[in-house]
Amino acid sequence: MVQERRILYEHLDVPNINTFDVFRQYEGYTRFEKAIAEYQPEEIADMVKESGLKGRGGAGFSTGEKWSFVPRDIEPRYLCCNADESEPGTFSNRYVLEKNPHLLIEGILICCYAMGIETTYVYIRGEFTLGKKMLDAAIKEAYEQGYLGENVRDTGLNINIYSHPGAGAYICGEETGLIESLEGKRGQPRNKPPFPAVQGVFMKPTVVQNVETLCNLPFIVGNGVEWYTQMGPTYGDTRFDPPKADPNTGTKLYCISGDVNEPGVYELELGLTSTELIEVAGGLRGEEVKAVIPGGSSAPILTHYELDTRLDFTSLTLAKSMLGSGGIIVMNETRNIVDCLLNIMKFYAHESCGQCTPCRWGTPWVRDIVQRIADGEGRQTTITRPKFGVTESGRWGDTGETEEIYEDLDLLENVANNIANVDTMTWNTICVFGIAVSWPAVSYMRKFKPEFEAAIREGKLVTLPVAEATVPPEENYAYQQRFIPKEFADL
Amino acid sequence: MAFIKLNDLEIEVEDGTNIVEAARENGIEVPHYCYHAGLSRPANCRMCLVEPYGPIPGAPPGTIGPARQLATGCTLTVRSAPPERKLEEKYDAIVRTDSSRVIKAREDILEFLLVHHPLDCPVCDQAGECDLQDFSYRHGHDKSRYIEVKNVPPKKDLGPDILLYSTRCIVCTRCIRFCDEVSGSGELGLINRGSHDEIDIPRSHEGTPIQLLDNKLAGNVVDICPVGALISKDFLFKSRPWFMEKADSICSGCSVGCNVTVEYKADGVYRIKPRFHEDINQHWMCDDGRLGYHYVNSDDRLQLPLKKVDGELVTTQWADALTLITENLSEVDAADIVVIGSAQGTNEDNYVLQQFAHDVLKTTQLGLFGQLPGEEHKFPQFTIEADKNPNTAGARTILGSANGNVVLEGDALWEKVASAKVVYIVSGVPERVLEDAERDALEKVDFLIVQDVLPSAVTELADVVLPGTTFAEKDGTFTNSTGWVQRIRKTIDPPGEAQVDWQITQQLAKQLGGEIDYHFAGEIAIAIAENVAGYGDATHQNIGDAGIKLD
Repeated sequence: MVQERRILYEHLDVPNINTFDVFRQYEGYTRFEKAIAEYQPEEIADMVKESGLKGRGGAGFSTGEKWSFVPRDIEPRYLCCNADESEPGTFSNRYVLEKNPHLLIEGILICCYAMGIETTYVYIRGEFTLGKKMLDAAIKEAYEQGYLGENVRDTGLNINIYSHPGAGAYICGEETGLIESLEGKRGQPRNKPPFPAVQGVFMKPTVVQNVETLCNLPFIVGNGVEWYTQMGPTYGDTRFDPPKADPNTGTKLYCISGDVNEPGVYELELGLTSTELIEVAGGLRGEEVKAVIPGGSSAPILTHYELDTRLDFTSLTLAKSMLGSGGIIVMNETRNIVDCLLNIMKFYAHESCGQCTPCRWGTPWVRDIVQRIADGEGRQTTITRPKFGVTESGRWGDTGETEEIYEDLDLLENVANNIANVDTMTWNTICVFGIAVSWPAVSYMRKFKPEFEAAIREGKLVTLPVAEATVPPEENYAYQQRFIPKEFADL
Repeated sequence: MAFIKLNDLEIEVEDGTNIVEAARENGIEVPHYCYHAGLSRPANCRMCLVEPYGPIPGAPPGTIGPARQLATGCTLTVRSAPPERKLEEKYDAIVRTDSSRVIKAREDILEFLLVHHPLDCPVCDQAGECDLQDFSYRHGHDKSRYIEVKNVPPKKDLGPDILLYSTRCIVCTRCIRFCDEVSGSGELGLINRGSHDEIDIPRSHEGTPIQLLDNKLAGNVVDICPVGALISKDFLFKSRPWFMEKADSICSGCSVGCNVTVEYKADGVYRIKPRFHEDINQHWMCDDGRLGYHYVNSDDRLQLPLKKVDGELVTTQWADALTLITENLSEVDAADIVVIGSAQGTNEDNYVLQQFAHDVLKTTQLGLFGQLPGEEHKFPQFTIEADKNPNTAGARTILGSANGNVVLEGDALWEKVASAKVVYIVSGVPERVLEDAERDALEKVDFLIVQDVLPSAVTELADVVLPGTTFAEKDGTFTNSTGWVQRIRKTIDPPGEAQVDWQITQQLAKQLGGEIDYHFAGEIAIAIAENVAGYGDATHQNIGDAGIKLD
């Protein structure tokens, strides 16, 4: 039985940990004091790089590397803390904000010290009213105690934090959408490059970090890189492991919801499988697992054949999915995948910011197609198209054969791929919202094709038994198409 | 300069040029909607996707290949790279606009652009000059796969001259950026989100407008709208674009001298659109100029000469009118004659007029008449000048070009007029009202000859009225307030028996035995170039479409 490994959440349940005095009793701010007493700013940045910390917001980009892109000669630089936690299935940041806001402030202080930043904006999701209230109170206390403001603790550092509520748009969780919104404009992502590290808030170099990422910093500084890198997966014993370890260190706040007996946030070392995770969350509610969404609603779905995929950044990338924000949604045999996709597509069609063409008009189109299939109005007509599968060379590709497919399923796949192509990982959109739409659309349709076909054939939603609803592993593009990225090829 | 490889062309372009412009300069079309050379670049239409080449990560050094993601041509700028970063050792950039990925991306984007479009080209004003139509034809699919319900957002009245057909809108936001960046008035914005995005003006909760799109540059949003969403009420349902002839001309509304295209048919001028000039008006013009052409088509235009009989103006024949004038002119002293040129007339009109005054009438008393000054309007990237005449600078110089000529203006002019016996005033100023001093002076004149285009306060006082022509009916040049000499071109024929102003003056000169004999405006321009200081290069041939700036 896997045990929780509580680091960020260790003192979450201590009464009044949100107050400075109690937080101080639990080593509060000592890590920051250690940072300024023992390390130069560059050393902190190096430590973060060595720790292998990956951004916890969704993309899983190396934090240390991101910091290295920030030009040090342009003043002012900003830190922007992304607390706009809006991915469906994700709810870990809000507990930090509501229960232990001083931990976030300490993380911000360390980041500001390392990057020579004086101003931090915390962009909080508009619905997190309690979280904002608690954070604001903590910021006030930190000012009173001299950990914020002019000349912090007589070190000569000036650090200010401003909290800013969002207005409830999913897209403002995208870093440039967030920056636009923070600047008081319509929340629409910017065209990149330039990236925020070069031109971010008010067109100045900006580090954008998720709450969870910043909360990791005190522990990296406090306990050392070696201690931190020990946490994480040891590869080599499951089919989906990368050839050699790509740093997947530390713990992750997994938000488990759906058909489990004890849904909630569990802090676990990175690299557990879905099966283990379901066990931690009190076991499955129902007979058998039909599917698992591994990283928030935008992540491609995993079938019951893929449950032994490790839930870490690298393994899930190799399984053509992603860890994303760590919002795990478990579905049992009673769930209809067409219905699930419809639910998700309604969300994305509603949340598309409408800035760029493919997403603005492609996303509602995908929703309408799924809606039609779910309503039993899918067209019975079929078309013939090239069949993709395992070729003679053993790789995934055009088999030279043809297949019959319902016109609407082909259309669904094609329209989604025209927004952002799942197979080539290229998109015509400004931001990655496009791929967040086409990932579920294409993966649900391909992996649970029998259920979609049944809905069209029968003219109504039909929930098939798990074994029948899922395409077998040999026809599963993600299962078979495991590619080895270049960076791993020669290791 | 950057040396780039665009498809198979090797070309040199200025540093900082984007791929859309670089391609356009070299005859390659990169379709685009949201990009406009005069506005910022949000890259939201995704139509101008191109395939940049670069080093392949992980491959041996020097290996060049297409980038994983396509890039938008409007934001992809090229500049000279240091030697170690040159591609294939010589190129600063390698870009393809014709690869299969680019072609597919264009097809896909066009399919998305058309899913909610009503396809109402048969009743749409923009049809024929519509980028959506043209690019769909050249780059798009021939049929739609969309069978779902289309969005039908409402048609909106945005301001005095602007209608928004929201169904046709592709949300490129050019109009919003124009109002933010060029006019600085910011009336337009987006409401709603996602596929329900709509352009709108600020409204109350009940839907009543709080701020109309009524700034003086508002008409430009119609020009820059790449589809038929923003429509000018003035031009609505008037004509198909392909039925109209076009001529490059200059706006006669003020002394800025905006470059314009006059679109016309045999029965009149239909609309005026701005034409790009880097140093004068960039891509824009104001609504005063845009909508100020209506007097050209007016039914009230003077078509025959008029003479005063018993206090009433009655029509007469040209021969009669000219004879009457000749009789009156030959009886008076040169010192009692004042000849007044017009700041609305061309340099050629004024040159013949001053030649007539100086050589034939032997008078050096000239005046300059024009529209009364209006208000100056300054915008972040545009200025409408207070001087409402297109050629004040040119007329002033040219009238005063001959030896001893004095060009009187304002009070000095009207004092002189009050004491004169015969005044020949070439007006051509539409809707000119007279101030009291002007009226008093003109009433004292024994014999007043007025050459004009429309009945006005000035023609009422005249003893003889000669029907002249507007900017749309003659060739010539205007000199703007910053010294640019630019050409206007004849579009339609003058109404009735109206004649080009310099030809009328020339006929008068001939009647009085003068030796002025020009055959076309270009000939006069050569004479100006020879005789007027500063205008040495200002022949029609040299001026061309771009104009020339005087020293």
